Amino acid sequence: MAIGDYPADYNPKIHGPYDPARFYGKPDTPFGQVKLGELGSWLARRNKHPSAIIGAVSRAWWRWQHKYVQPKRAGIAPFFHVVFASMGIFYVLNYSKLKHHRNYKYH
Amino acid sequence: MLSRAAILSGQTSRALVVLGSRSTTTSSVNNQAAATDEKQTLPRPVRQEPGKVRHGFIPEEWFQFFYKKTGATGAYTFAFTFSTYLISKEIYVMEHEYYSGLSLLLMWIVEVKKLGPKLATALDKGVDEYESAWNESRVEEKKVLSDQIADEEKAQWSMEGQNLLVQAKRENVALQLEATYRERLISAYSEVKKRLDYQVEKQNIERRIAQKNLVDWVLARVTASITPDQEKQNINRCITDLAALAKA
Repeated sequence: MAIGDYPADYNPKIHGPYDPARFYGKPDTPFGQVKLGELGSWLARRNKHPSAIIGAVSRAWWRWQHKYVQPKRAGIAPFFHVVFASMGIFYVLNYSKLKHHRNYKYH
Repeated sequence: MLSRAAILSGQTSRALVVLGSRSTTTSSVNNQAAATDEKQTLPRPVRQEPGKVRHGFIPEEWFQFFYKKTGATGAYTFAFTFSTYLISKEIYVMEHEYYSGLSLLLMWIVEVKKLGPKLATALDKGVDEYESAWNESRVEEKKVLSDQIADEEKAQWSMEGQNLLVQAKRENVALQLEATYRERLISAYSEVKKRLDYQVEKQNIERRIAQKNLVDWVLARVTASITPDQEKQNINRCITDLAALAKA
């Protein structure tokens, strides 16, 4: 599978038009339904190849796009998502410097 | 929202192509699908409605996740207690950016509440206009075709009316023929009656003349047969009768 190709499991004759938000492989148990004891084996079954991780992030991105950005009458929610997510990210990035603004020495 | 128009045009055209390839059996896509016995198992991707959010951006699913475990206020309780923990332990540090963020948030809320509805109606109007502009030719064509169908049906209906009209005309002609026939019948009858009356009258006249002639002839013969002697006797008889009458 080269860069720019469809996923290996995608077959247009079976799946129809390509949906970038859809996982075309064999579905595992959804994360929300995994029992705590099975979490280790569930994580062990994950494909940790960089391209698979990128694919998962890309699917999440398109899921978000289809849900909040692409609808015909989308609202202001996606803009706020970007704003608050970047606020959080940059707070974490700058946390080592922000730590020095603490007012109390002992908690 | 900026991508509404772009996505709209792309999706509608794609949907049209898909519809076209589905409805015709001669397209290559369907032939390929027919050649392999594999069936389409997954539902086709369709454009979604926007996801539900609370307070402008928090997904509804987040609240549903708490609703099952801690009820309707669960998410708010979690947010309040967790932020209390972060703030009191100064894990979240309230430096100067926090207060500028608060003021920014306040301004955003006011702007969204005041300008949001107006902007939303304007953008929705634009979306509707764009969509109707793309649909216009199709709608027009459908309207023209349905008008043609209606015209055709009306023409057929009026042709049925023509049938009725022709039938009525035929009946009218039949009536006229009947009237002429009866008129001629009555004229023939009256002509024949005239001739017969003439014959009757002629026979009556002939018989009267013959009678008259016979009477005249008989009278003449009777008058001729009377002798003077007989006449004399007759006058005498008359005188005696008169005398008898005078006596009486």
